[in-house]
Amino acid sequence: MPTTNATIGLSSDITDNSLSISNSSTLYKAGSDTSGVDTMTSVTKVLSSTNQVDLITTGSVSTTHAYVYINNPSTDSTEFFKIHIGNAGGGSASDTEEIGRLYGGDWMWFPWDVDDDITITPSVATDMTVEYQVFS
Amino acid sequence: MATTATLTLTSADIAGDPVNVSKTTTCTKAGGTIDLDQSTGMNRIILRESTNKLLLGATAGGNDLSAKVYLINKATDPTQFVTVTINAQTIGKLYAGDWMFLPWSQTDTSADIEVAATSYTTAGGSIPIEYCLFHEDSIRLADA
Repeated sequence: MPTTNATIGLSSDITDNSLSISNSSTLYKAGSDTSGVDTMTSVTKVLSSTNQVDLITTGSVSTTHAYVYINNPSTDSTEFFKIHIGNAGGGSASDTEEIGRLYGGDWMWFPWDVDDDITITPSVATDMTVEYQVFS
Repeated sequence: MATTATLTLTSADIAGDPVNVSKTTTCTKAGGTIDLDQSTGMNRIILRESTNKLLLGATAGGNDLSAKVYLINKATDPTQFVTVTINAQTIGKLYAGDWMFLPWSQTDTSADIEVAATSYTTAGGSIPIEYCLFHEDSIRLADA
């Protein structure tokens, strides 16, 4: 069984007493603590329009539980991706829910139930690079 | 006032070559380099129902602004999971020990983040979760 770990280190001095969090999780298949994820997809894409397009489709994963990492490696803090989840391929953009915006340098990590596609909308049409990994 | 989040992904054997990804982001206000300056602090709640519960309510003032959400399922039973939704759209299931870190758009006041202890049973026990929001919108407090 492969062993894959995802660790977050989170620190903040916004409040008077600072916050420091460190948590690590081993990536397992749904409901297991013995069977680790065994499939990984790692992709870098360059997007050259501001159209909303599929980034990760449900058809690309054969399970009902996956982990997703998406990174905006841009160094321009004004450029962002809108990350949506929903049925963009089968309908209109309005069929999706915007999760959030990844500005230059931002990343996100979340479990995905593989019910709906993950879509992406660049803020500019001048070759924005996105990186993502899916573990399932 | 800086908030930083570092993700480290490691695996020695999921692929032919080791995986080692490390990425740090400094949480800033939308479209700039000014640090986020507001936080809910760390919260811990115990879920004992399988129906959706409001975790974070979206505000109209948060639209187009920056917000980051950290959420972790602190259960130890691997079968206990929490379903996370935004505006009733399921994002995924956080199993015991799993965590997530998301930007949150609050595109409208329907974009609430809700959680449900979908797997909850009396026999299985309650599910503790911990969460924190870092944000820039200033009208998160409801009028008195």
